[in-house]
Amino acid sequence: MDSFHSSLKPSKFDKIQPSMKYLLIFALALTVACGQKEETPLSWKSIEADLQTWLIQAQDGDTIAIPEGNFMFENPLILDGLSDVIIKGAGMGKTILSFEMQESGAEGIRAANCKNLVFQDFTVQDAAGDNIKITDTNGIRFTNVKSQWTGEPSQENGAYAFYPVLCKNVVVENCIAIGSSDAGIYVGQSDSVIIRNNEVYHNVAGIESENSRWVEIYANNAHHNTGGILIFDLPGLTQSGHTTRVYDNDVISNNHENFAPEGNVVAIVPPGTGIMMMATRNIEVFNNRIHHNRTIGTALISYVLVEIFGAEEGSQLDSANAKVNEEYDPYPNYVYFHDNEFKNKHWFPTFENDFGLLFLRYFTFNLPDFAMDGIWPEDEEFVMCLQNNGEFNFANIDAANDLEGRSTNWRDYDCEYGVIDPIYP
Amino acid sequence: MRYLLFILVAAACTSPEKKQPALVEKVSLGVSEVEDYPKYLSDWNLYKEPMNELIPINDRMFPYEINAALFSDYAFKARFIMLPENTGITYDSSEVLDFPIGTLLIKNFYYPEDFKNSKSKRRILETRLLIREENKWEAIVYAWNDEQTEAKRVILGKKVPVEWTDRYGELQRIDYSIPSQPQCKSCHDLGGKLVPIGPSARQLNRDNQLTDWVEKGWLEVPENVHYPQLANFENKDAALEDRARAWLEVNCAHCHRREGPAKNSGLYLLASQTDPYRLGVNKPPIAAGKGSGGLKYSIVPGKPDQSILIHRIESLEPGEMMPELGRKMTHTEGVELIREWISEME
Repeated sequence: MDSFHSSLKPSKFDKIQPSMKYLLIFALALTVACGQKEETPLSWKSIEADLQTWLIQAQDGDTIAIPEGNFMFENPLILDGLSDVIIKGAGMGKTILSFEMQESGAEGIRAANCKNLVFQDFTVQDAAGDNIKITDTNGIRFTNVKSQWTGEPSQENGAYAFYPVLCKNVVVENCIAIGSSDAGIYVGQSDSVIIRNNEVYHNVAGIESENSRWVEIYANNAHHNTGGILIFDLPGLTQSGHTTRVYDNDVISNNHENFAPEGNVVAIVPPGTGIMMMATRNIEVFNNRIHHNRTIGTALISYVLVEIFGAEEGSQLDSANAKVNEEYDPYPNYVYFHDNEFKNKHWFPTFENDFGLLFLRYFTFNLPDFAMDGIWPEDEEFVMCLQNNGEFNFANIDAANDLEGRSTNWRDYDCEYGVIDPIYP
Repeated sequence: MRYLLFILVAAACTSPEKKQPALVEKVSLGVSEVEDYPKYLSDWNLYKEPMNELIPINDRMFPYEINAALFSDYAFKARFIMLPENTGITYDSSEVLDFPIGTLLIKNFYYPEDFKNSKSKRRILETRLLIREENKWEAIVYAWNDEQTEAKRVILGKKVPVEWTDRYGELQRIDYSIPSQPQCKSCHDLGGKLVPIGPSARQLNRDNQLTDWVEKGWLEVPENVHYPQLANFENKDAALEDRARAWLEVNCAHCHRREGPAKNSGLYLLASQTDPYRLGVNKPPIAAGKGSGGLKYSIVPGKPDQSILIHRIESLEPGEMMPELGRKMTHTEGVELIREWISEME
């Protein structure tokens, strides 16, 4: 929508005769209300039958070259059991695969049980569920792929633009993700992951790593999402996550309203969140530019806080009921956060979220750049080091005790901690 | 000019609606047809003529029944096993039985014209074959012609308009969906391998079916075998818990189990599952997106309307509905059963 607005400069607008102006306003209002999908090309072709047949017959080492054009699909494209196959378009924006008319299936492109897949040089959009889901695959690379939901960001959009889950050796690079009602680039329950040089915007979460191990997230531009970069560890899954490096990212103005459907964990993320770490272990966050995220530049929280907030929002449950499995550790630990740059031109946090209101009440005009919930079992050692982050506002909000013991002195955590080795040096 | 604007606005309002009829021209990429298995069902020589009576060609092919069937838009299913000469099935107490190489599992999907009249004409829509190859199973699908004289292989699925009078006397009409070949494995996937789902001992243990097979020499079982049994969820004399769990197993657990494609959700729905959290009780969804329906937990005991599970088995929206494939209708009786089960849960 940015280009849409910027083309309507006031000067041009003033030259239009008055009666015309009102009509135009009316027309524009309707256009917006109807959710016009501007980027959707007008004419579509179908290669569904041939492309799916090709994928069924693909041999190890094949390259599936999709020509330039706008292609509409009614069913998901399914890949299973392929090895060393490249799916290649004629370029981002040149080869467009649209699932807007999808009648069956939960994903646009779905791959399972593969080895060394590459997706490159195309656009995929408007699937009923996720745009691209890859599961149980060792070796997956996305490069120069745009994955989006066109039109205004909406709760009706699919959850994930890029969704590798239960995978090993994942690379997502030079990609663009727009409009996901959960996360633009989401990697779940996976090992050895690189997410770099991507642009993600108008998603609820720009980039989210969940229950994954050995993850590198660097040189990405996460802007105008609800939350820029999330590193989460949730209970009850096939594996717990640890060992993540987040560096050299631009995490800017992630102030979008939260349009995730209730029930999904990202629905708790306050609009205006830069980086959020939840229950994660062994994480190094450095050299990031964390600017103008209105509510909180960086948050470090436990899953306990999520349960508390979840229970307060009208559910009959209390946190003790929503029990987690025994092997799960709901507390973050071993955090090294250094050499990051905070800026925030905003005076107020979001009013749309309990966290925001909480910050408004306790930290008006002095919003924390880095906040932690301070929920921690007394008998365990907690290791966190904050270093060289310039001037910044810190808050340990002591959420377990109704903020009574809150502290704003970051120097309690002024220490040096071992860096994490790069995954692929 | 005003008129023009009106048209523009009207176009803006109608064109982006989902699933709008669009003129989509089909384009070829020059891909050749798949030719690994016979093109026609008659090539398999399974049935005596006329084929649509579904009478097995010889006594190596025999019908079987299961206790609890997957919902497939109320389609009836006629199931057969064809065993190669001089072979037998090996028993397995928990998973699908071990079938010898060369086995065919044959499932015919049909609708009687009138569900209340057992003699009414039936229309067969598709026949699915699972073929036991040396190291794997293969799944292939044949779609029947309107004359019911032959069925032709479909690779990419097919929509078939079909109508019937249901058991309440109501006329039902749907575009029945024959799955594409790759969709088969979306459900028939255990640990990444394509496998049958139905013929396990607990499904086949009914009306002396298994003992009968042992007597005929088709099935080999250990001494003093004790056959487990899955409830028939249509049997109202069975315990509510057993009926509900059987329904969940057959409709959900092919994916929602530790070895299935939905293992990433951490929601496991085999009837043998004992951990309430794994079953979804007070469990938040994982990666459900709009499938959550704005609700927080898969199952809230006593509150079916607050349970995501109910939302998803009722929904008909791609991306929200469960199972993801294989139905265009809601299984009203099944949803009722699960509602009742959650209502009575403490």
